[in-house]
Amino acid sequence: MNKNNGVENVKSPGEFTCRVSEQLSLAPDYYLLSLEAPELARAASPGEFAMLRCGEGYDNFLRRPMSIHQVDRSKGQVDILYQVRGKGTNWLSKRASGDLLPLLGPLGHGYTCSGPAGKGLLIGAGVGVAPLLFLASELAARQWKLVILMGARSKAGILRPDAYMEYGEVKTATEDGSVGMQGTILDLAANELENSTFDMIFSCGSLPVLRGVQELSRQKGIPAELSLDERMACGVGACVGCVCQGADGSYLKVCQDGPVFSAGEVILND
Amino acid sequence: MTDLTVHFAGITMKNPVMSASGTFGSGVEYASVFDVSRMGALVTKGLTKEPTAGNKPPRICETPAGLLNAVGLQNPGVEVFIRELLPGMLEFGVPVIANIAGRTKDDFVFMAERFSNTGVAGLELNISCPNVKTGGMALGTVPDVAAGVVKAVVQGTDLPVIVKLTPNVTDIRELAAAVADAGADALSLINTLVGMVIDVDERKPVLDNCVGGLSGPAIRPVGVRAVWEVSQAVDLPVIGMGGIANGTDALEYIMAGASAVAVGSAFFHDPLAAVKIIDQIDEYCTEQGVDKLQDLVGAAWKGNNGRR
Ligand SMILES: Cc1cc2nc3c(=O)[nH]c(=O)nc-3n(C[C@H](O)[C@H](O)[C@H](O)COP(=O)(O)OP(=O)(O)OC[C@H]3O[C@@H](n4cnc5c(N)ncnc54)[C@H](O)[C@@H]3O)c2cc1C
Ligand SMILES: Cc1cc2nc3c(=O)[nH]c(=O)nc-3n(C[C@H](O)[C@H](O)[C@H](O)COP(=O)(O)O)c2cc1C
Ligand code: FES
Repeated sequence: MNKNNGVENVKSPGEFTCRVSEQLSLAPDYYLLSLEAPELARAASPGEFAMLRCGEGYDNFLRRPMSIHQVDRSKGQVDILYQVRGKGTNWLSKRASGDLLPLLGPLGHGYTCSGPAGKGLLIGAGVGVAPLLFLASELAARQWKLVILMGARSKAGILRPDAYMEYGEVKTATEDGSVGMQGTILDLAANELENSTFDMIFSCGSLPVLRGVQELSRQKGIPAELSLDERMACGVGACVGCVCQGADGSYLKVCQDGPVFSAGEVILND
Repeated sequence: MTDLTVHFAGITMKNPVMSASGTFGSGVEYASVFDVSRMGALVTKGLTKEPTAGNKPPRICETPAGLLNAVGLQNPGVEVFIRELLPGMLEFGVPVIANIAGRTKDDFVFMAERFSNTGVAGLELNISCPNVKTGGMALGTVPDVAAGVVKAVVQGTDLPVIVKLTPNVTDIRELAAAVADAGADALSLINTLVGMVIDVDERKPVLDNCVGGLSGPAIRPVGVRAVWEVSQAVDLPVIGMGGIANGTDALEYIMAGASAVAVGSAFFHDPLAAVKIIDQIDEYCTEQGVDKLQDLVGAAWKGNNGRR
């Protein structure tokens, strides 16, 4: 069914019970979860997410928003890359192949991939790299030239660099210098923008990182898209629980108007 | 086949399951997820005369078997709603009930008048919202004040008037009796319970608004008690809500005295909750040989427990 009763900007998510095909521990607290989810694989675009049930009974009552990390349409598989943060993600990390997981998706407004090909800078801080693999694969398929920046506290937090290398040049920064440049992802991004020019910046990460990217975008006059994080209940735009501040001061729904916004569209408050 | 129809206050529903205000958008958000036209009725988000910005985020905080919310009635205002969102909602072909809120009695009267001849089947007066500074719950905790609002609204509209009550009072029966006397056609209970969560790492409340409304399975026993008490004290149909997540929960409310029920937070846990609840109610009635669901209303306190 794909009915929207004449209202625009309404997506067509579905509720699916997906089988876990595999779960890998990439580093302490970081996991790669593969799900059999053919409908989701087919319908999803980069930057979109799903709401995953993360508990038994009424434990962890709300679903957890997770970005689509990568899809394999021929296998009907969707991958989720996540960090254990609390009760729900801890529960999720205990799932094994064969387990069933209810989820709602695909949801939200993702990254813009449809424009003319150009040179793109992808900036992923920590587990914020999660949506950027799907994005990189889609942009590369559309002839974009990509530089992909990955940043973390230490080497263990640089997630799957090899997977990203397939689609562009990968550069890393760690705060302890254990791999790549020593410094923050914003230092790395500033360096990169000193030395090269780009048509577009795509980013996902914590609020301070996104604020830094927003500032770089303004300084350099390069348009940027940012993927925001907010607590969610429904994920579909029905409860108005997940807002961020729009540039005109009004509240935008992160789950429906975002999670990906253009840098000029949002005010990033604490 | 059990007869699941509900007639109350001049509204006819093909089954007793409605959406709870503020949890279901305008229905179109869920149109690709399940067949929304299966719902008994749809209730809008709380609407105000002027656009309302709502509270600063974070607005949501998970709690044991539920959540706190402090949305603060964000909505585009009644004009935009009627022009842009109501037509899509009416297209589902089920009764739409407008949930209206205001700061003053006059706001409520204005809103009620504005909804005449718009296609809505009734009004739900939200004099119970815990998340706004003025109006909302302030109008719904003092029986005389609540009755004044209801009386003024009823005089100015032909639409059925359902009054939604807050459980954040000492005796909800007093409030129910006052609004019944003032001319309400039906009652909705309950709205959320005021609560709070503190982040011990940050040493401050999680919600920017500090307090929020508690909903979800955690509050179900409170709602069931409210329906049990009010339905025996007041001769008005009651819509029961608060933590309904499966057919058994819905039947509890019905047996406590609710003619219909609303599903809210359960959509967040399982977007298919409402349709499952409709099917589970039907199954229970078939198994138990119940011909008409309405025979079960108040079964827990009626003689013979609703058995013929
Ligand atoms: C659109 C979107 C996409 C995301 N994609 C990913 C991803 O691909 N990989 C990944 O590791 N994380 C992702 N996150 C963050 C992830 O949703 C949170 O880490 C997760 O909800 C934490 O749940 P928990 O039960 O472990 O934590 P708890 O702290 O126990 O959770 C309590 C409640 O707060 C909410 N919550 C806590 N932290 C966050 C947060 N940072 N963002 C949103 N809600 C939060 C939870 O959902 C839950 O409702 C994404 C968030 C959003 C909004
Ligand atoms: C996110 C959210 C928003 C709500 N907004 C409204 C509202 O605008 N008007 C209203 O009368 N009730 C509102 N409510 C209360 C619900 O309609 C319902 O009374 C309450 O949540 C209890 O039911 P539940 O436990 O099934 O959610 C809201 C509840 C939630 C969770
Ligand atoms: S989470 Fe409900 S509107 Fe975004």
